[in-house]
Amino acid sequence: MPHSLPSSPKSTPKNGGNGITKFTNCRILKDNSLVEEDLWVNSITGKIIRSQAAFYDDFVLPNQVINLGGRILSPGFIECQLNGAFGFNFSTLLEPAVYAKKVREVNRQLVRTGVTSYLPTITSQRSDIYKRALPHLGPSGYRQVAEDGAESVGAHVEGPFLSPTKNGVHNVDVLREADTFEDLEDCYGPTNISSEDSYEPSPIKMVTAAPELGRMTELIPEVTARGIIFSVGHSEATYEEASKAVAAGATMITHLFNAMRPLHHRNPGIFGVLGMAESLPRPYFGIIADGEHLHPTTIKIAFNAHPDGFILVTDAMHMVGLPDGAYQWTNGDCTNHIVKKGPKLILEGSDRIAGSSITLIECVTNFLRWSGATIPQALRAVTSTPAAMLGMQGVKGCLDDGADADLVVLSEGLGQDEAELVIDEVWKFGTKVFSR
Amino acid sequence: MRLIIRDESEAASSYVANYIIDRIQHFNPTPTHPFVLGLPTGSSPLGVYKVLVEKYKAGLISFENVVTFNMDEYVGIPRDHSESYHSFMWKNFFSHVNVNPNNVHILNGNAPNLEAECVEYEAKIKRAGGIDLFLGGIGEDGHIAFNEPGSSLASRTRVKTLAYDTILANSRFFENDIEKVPKMALTVGVQTVLESREVVVIILGARKASALQRCIEQGVNHMWTLSSLQLHPHPMIVCDEDATLELQVKTVKYFKSIELVARQQGFEQILPSSIRTGPPIPKTVVDEVSDEVQSPTILAPQPMTSRLLRATPATEYPVRSVSPDLVPDRMADRVGVPDLARRLTPQPEQQQQRLASVGA
Ligand SMILES: [Zn+2]
Repeated sequence: MPHSLPSSPKSTPKNGGNGITKFTNCRILKDNSLVEEDLWVNSITGKIIRSQAAFYDDFVLPNQVINLGGRILSPGFIECQLNGAFGFNFSTLLEPAVYAKKVREVNRQLVRTGVTSYLPTITSQRSDIYKRALPHLGPSGYRQVAEDGAESVGAHVEGPFLSPTKNGVHNVDVLREADTFEDLEDCYGPTNISSEDSYEPSPIKMVTAAPELGRMTELIPEVTARGIIFSVGHSEATYEEASKAVAAGATMITHLFNAMRPLHHRNPGIFGVLGMAESLPRPYFGIIADGEHLHPTTIKIAFNAHPDGFILVTDAMHMVGLPDGAYQWTNGDCTNHIVKKGPKLILEGSDRIAGSSITLIECVTNFLRWSGATIPQALRAVTSTPAAMLGMQGVKGCLDDGADADLVVLSEGLGQDEAELVIDEVWKFGTKVFSR
Repeated sequence: MRLIIRDESEAASSYVANYIIDRIQHFNPTPTHPFVLGLPTGSSPLGVYKVLVEKYKAGLISFENVVTFNMDEYVGIPRDHSESYHSFMWKNFFSHVNVNPNNVHILNGNAPNLEAECVEYEAKIKRAGGIDLFLGGIGEDGHIAFNEPGSSLASRTRVKTLAYDTILANSRFFENDIEKVPKMALTVGVQTVLESREVVVIILGARKASALQRCIEQGVNHMWTLSSLQLHPHPMIVCDEDATLELQVKTVKYFKSIELVARQQGFEQILPSSIRTGPPIPKTVVDEVSDEVQSPTILAPQPMTSRLLRATPATEYPVRSVSPDLVPDRMADRVGVPDLARRLTPQPEQQQQRLASVGA
């Protein structure tokens, strides 16, 4: 894990102070509640610190005290499925220097939306795009500094080992099947999926694939052995096939309900594995709460089926933050257009949903309005739950001592007479990087 | 003795908090002339801390130049254990106010040499100029700090074995597992408390009524260590109505009427003004005689009352002439034989050991 390494300073404190900030008069997210407690962070180590030890051992007082006036202090958000943003699509073939520059721009902009860690996602593509793009999308880990903005915790490759009949907007021509692990290496590039150096994790953190294709289910242990999350998605899997995948080590379901068989009472399909029928561990699952992909009630049912596995994702395309209109979308060989109309993205000439253009905080607000869930429950779906899914408990998605000091300050507003959460400030590694 | 009675526990807590704030403000502490505050833990003072924190946040008081000494700490549990008194103080007070960590003193229950820790603690209090105000709470058996029944009223900071009842009562904080409850504690002594220039004790609830009755209406008794307060020149007890259940009606009426009359006369403050403004404390000349008095063990039998009454420095009374106390010297000093002058006791090493030993 890069996080256990001695790290370089995340930020140099201004005017030579000790870099310690105390947040007070705030409600911090702890487990399932908001508790009135102070929080101390250190911008030099980039961590949340044990204030009591700092006081008694090091005789330190905070350099600055931030009075949040009763507002909510949440861990920074973690986005597990982001295809692009602010005009840049991660599934693009570009000169390495240009590509890297575009990623850095996205990181700096993305952090303003409250997302402090994310998995840049590449949709089904030909092999050369993976091989060119993935080296730029790997985890930035200990190298990253606050001013760089949002941090990648590794790439999410959604495809191309997907079911041709559940392709969604993925290009059917590039979809393939795998019989051996070499087929995966061949597709993504060996160094992108396997890492020789344990300090340098491979760029890929999550693979979405259809387990029923080829011998994919048998390959799952090889994927997870590399510290990579296997997620079931874009799949025709029956309940039995999905259960087998879970037994083999799949711990996630990509955008539950979308691009999979609908729940049938005689075969509940992939959704059925949330029922804990076969005493298998229940996987985490992504939910797109944009009001287009899923009916609000469906979201509520999914949440109630397995609250601890519920993860809000945007599946947003690069049109996020751009005005309405038709946008070119290179999808393998063919160039399509996606029509953006408000938060809706529709593939031109069809009625297919082409991802979303929603932000994660909007998903949180939607979920709050639709489900009657509490604010802590909604925030957990973008903080501690994705962190647990990624095996990053204690580092990301929580406000425990020693965790990364990635923070979001939230106001409870009333938009259109309904509850709404608004991002007021974003802190990365103990340094303020955005304020409204 | 002042006894202040309030109908509700909140009002009693507020009274104490406001009293402390008043004292600090009147004292006008500076970095070179800090206000030295003794602090307790436990349920009784919680309300006091709450009000102090509120007033700090409202900008009405600063603790920047306040030096604190805590009464006690468990032995052998990690300092940051949720039940340690370090944690209590951090959670309920220090984390919310601007007390300088360098000014905070709490006994270290994990010190390699516990006895040395206690001796050093007394020395620290002395170096800070003594305690201006010691705030205390009491147990149901009338103990102050961990000076449980039977503790010597001349005791000083030391290691204490806890009474079985106390261990039992504490087990609820340690997963009801008696094995996990600390069996020992470090605590300031009764004498340490009595040496403060002022002692304020908050007593809340019917469970403490019996203890309060013993300490107010009965005599000084080592089985109710708080009763030693009767020997202090400036003690004040603040309690709620429930805590007075065991007191005689006439006692309650008496103290209430005193407070009423004092208020009508605009004479609520009974402390001599020199204590309130905290005159610079005259440098104490440390000689063998005074060392003996501070030792935890009584080297030579002395009448108890004289020792206790000496607790408060006479210099606080401005009316009194500042004639030095008579220190009987020996012929040897006058003769000026250097060898003899240096060797005051036949076996200084042994004497030294006794000084460091722990009293009950
Ligand atoms: Zn998809």
